[in-house]
Amino acid sequence: MLRYILKRILVFIPTLFAISLLAFWLSKVAPGDPVMSCNPIDEAGFEMTRALYQEMYEDMGLDKPLFYFNFTTASYPDTFYRVSGRYHQQALAKLIDQYGNWPLIQEYNNALESFTHSLEQLPETIDRNTRTALRRPTLLLFETYDDPKITNLLGQIQQKANNPKDSILYSLIADEALTLTDSYAAVKARPNQLRQYLPRLSWQGFDNQYHLWITNFLKGDFGKSCRGGRPVWNRIKTPLFWTIITSVLAILLIYFLAVPLGVFSAAKKDSVRDRFITTLLFVLYSLPTFWIATMLLVFFTTPEYGMDWFEGAGLGRLSSDAPFWSRFWETARHLFLPVLCLTYPSLAFVSRQMRGGMLEVLNQDFIRTAKAKGVHKQRVIWKHAFRNALFPLLTLFAAVFPAVVTGSVVIEVIFNIPGMGREVVSAIFAKDWPVLYTIVMLVAILTMIGNLVVDILYAVVDPRVRF
Amino acid sequence: MNKEFQQGTMGAVIQSSDTGQSYWTLVKRQFRKNRLAVWATRFLGILIFIAVFGDFIAGDKPIYCKIDGETYFPVLKQYAVDMGWSTWSSEFVRKSWREHNYEAVTFPLIPYGAGQLDLDNVLKSPFDNQKIESTRWRHWLGTDKIGRDVAAGMVRGTRVALVIGIVAMGIATFIGLIFGGVAGYFGDSRVRISWLELLFGLIGILLGVFYGFIVRNYALTEGSLVWELPKSIVIFGVCVLLCISLAKLIHLWRPSRSKFGLPLDILIMRLIEIMNSIPGLIFLLAILAVIDQPSIINVMVIIGLISWTGIARFVRAELLRVRSLDYIEAARSLGLGDFRIMIRHALPNALTPILISIAFGIAGAILVEAFISFLGVGIPPEEITWGKLLNISRNNINAWWLAVFPGIAIFLTVTIFNLIGEGLTDALNPKIKQ
Repeated sequence: MLRYILKRILVFIPTLFAISLLAFWLSKVAPGDPVMSCNPIDEAGFEMTRALYQEMYEDMGLDKPLFYFNFTTASYPDTFYRVSGRYHQQALAKLIDQYGNWPLIQEYNNALESFTHSLEQLPETIDRNTRTALRRPTLLLFETYDDPKITNLLGQIQQKANNPKDSILYSLIADEALTLTDSYAAVKARPNQLRQYLPRLSWQGFDNQYHLWITNFLKGDFGKSCRGGRPVWNRIKTPLFWTIITSVLAILLIYFLAVPLGVFSAAKKDSVRDRFITTLLFVLYSLPTFWIATMLLVFFTTPEYGMDWFEGAGLGRLSSDAPFWSRFWETARHLFLPVLCLTYPSLAFVSRQMRGGMLEVLNQDFIRTAKAKGVHKQRVIWKHAFRNALFPLLTLFAAVFPAVVTGSVVIEVIFNIPGMGREVVSAIFAKDWPVLYTIVMLVAILTMIGNLVVDILYAVVDPRVRF
Repeated sequence: MNKEFQQGTMGAVIQSSDTGQSYWTLVKRQFRKNRLAVWATRFLGILIFIAVFGDFIAGDKPIYCKIDGETYFPVLKQYAVDMGWSTWSSEFVRKSWREHNYEAVTFPLIPYGAGQLDLDNVLKSPFDNQKIESTRWRHWLGTDKIGRDVAAGMVRGTRVALVIGIVAMGIATFIGLIFGGVAGYFGDSRVRISWLELLFGLIGILLGVFYGFIVRNYALTEGSLVWELPKSIVIFGVCVLLCISLAKLIHLWRPSRSKFGLPLDILIMRLIEIMNSIPGLIFLLAILAVIDQPSIINVMVIIGLISWTGIARFVRAELLRVRSLDYIEAARSLGLGDFRIMIRHALPNALTPILISIAFGIAGAILVEAFISFLGVGIPPEEITWGKLLNISRNNINAWWLAVFPGIAIFLTVTIFNLIGEGLTDALNPKIKQ
């Protein structure tokens, strides 16, 4: 038994590793520049200089390699990850893909950096419009890799910078603008296609983004949210609490209701009541939760139709200094409909399974024997049959738990309960990737633990299961 | 959850029996006994009809019209225009379809397009007084807050729902068949390879990834994926095959002494476990969030990519059973190749039970589509779906018709597929055969 448990736990680790890779990869391919989307300084009307951007970029640890190793064509430099800025890096990578001559591309990039620096140093005496007219195409160049577009942008820069009439500007940046254009011409003139077809696998050490993220994650440090820079944990601890409350309530209800219902309709098989229960449960199972939730919200919480018997969305507005019991009552009333909606689909599922399991057991010989020797009917059902039909219920938990978690996404959004599901959706809309992928990881870990516990319990309970 | 729903009761395939009837006749006869399932199939026919001929049922263009002695079929012409074969003449672009002087005209049953605004009738209930010329133009199921006809939206939604359900499940079935088939048929020991072949195979995969995807990164991201992706996959396959053939060549010259079974089953089951550790909807949302351009195709592909595990497990279980049957042994002893046996002889026998999984799967996929469009994630804003209609009702709580009708549509469609799944389960269950 111990060996089996150990084995299951050992299997846990690679699975977790794979899921963490998936979550990490998704968070990296998610759209948007992480620096810009997590530091919304544009609102302050403050222009971000390259130097400041770089500083933030390094602060967020984005200047580190992504992963332990890297698999690229030989035309990429070893330290390509140091290029700062997501779209800048992407643009340079595409230039390398097109031309394959990193040294020349690097020269072009350096020329671009120093030109930008010079632009930032331009004296105030120069007309603001001119400065913007120069600055805009230059910044765009950082993210451009398409030849006609680059040529066009460079042309715009040349036109402004290489204008002898504007003598101050001309003396300050004309040379650099020319170097920039020349360096790009050089990139195009001498492509190196051969290196494009040579693979290179390089080890990048432990100081990489994935390693830092996963070690911090395991230590309980989930990083910072993109909304307001609070730690992710602060953001998700209340939602986690509410989701656990609603899920536990729902799961308890599911089992408390489903087991008697299933046993009852199995015992009274083919009676009117059994048919009624079975049909009802099938209909319930097919009713989409989000529709039912919306309908309940529309019809039973608004005075519009004269049926506002329940509390509406949210958790009530009592302040935290109200007495505990009145807060409790308020919350309970608000949670009634959501928990109901969370419960009914799985309730239908579990009681159907319970009925099926009971029927199977009731058909077996030992039940006939028990009946034949005159054991009371109730006793046959509860003592003999029920115990044996109980095992499948345990495994069902592995299906019920994710279903309830998934259901809570829907229900929380509709009923506006500040739980994990609503947090997931709001994180998606706010492009708050750290929060989103932390939740994905936590939910996956919870589900895996659930499965693990079920497997172990199953092995403990059912003496036939031996590994 | 649907997939687990039936796994317990699914038993063996009915063998062609002594009565001399074919397997399919038996299944059909069993299926027909289930009245609900038969009705569900008829209903499905209606739904498919609505989905296919939706443009003739609801739309702002006439099906047939005659103007100044000339006959037009605007709905058909729209298809040609969409394909780029034809263009509208200017009179049709300038004027709306209602304003022409028709000599004769037949409008669709619901004379409104799904996205068409009727600003005279905003947020009208089906029973409200509507500002319309005649009953012909009535909004039978009401309008939303910008005057779009709900009935027209429902017709359009039918197409989206069915297409997503069926295509997503098609993708899932394809992947599930391959993975489940390989895991079930080859198990952990049927594919025997030597260390050299393993090594060369891994090198082949690395090279395949390199030449197929890393080198072609620019072409893949900048070019059209429809052309470039298959090319990359072919390159990948060629690299892997070349490396393995190389290993085999070396073995011709110096045969390997020790071979071991490739644990395909374990690997695939691990993969399935990983996929199942993330609750489906959260997984789907996490992936959809990453995609910049919302599109129906993306949604279909992603739902397909994450919902194949149920089918794969099903196929695996079936093949585990089938592969030890006598006829497979016979085929093997005749010297047929493993892949040929798997595809020609083993999989067809496992296919019918998979129909159940597919039926339940389509129901699930439609539900998922309705939910994500309800949330507003992943479906393009101009597309009209049942979920979106339902979502509008959240902001217009007094508009009950926005909540009721799309909900009924979702419920009916999901129930239809569930009932068909149930019917199939019963029909395929050998216990009920007698």
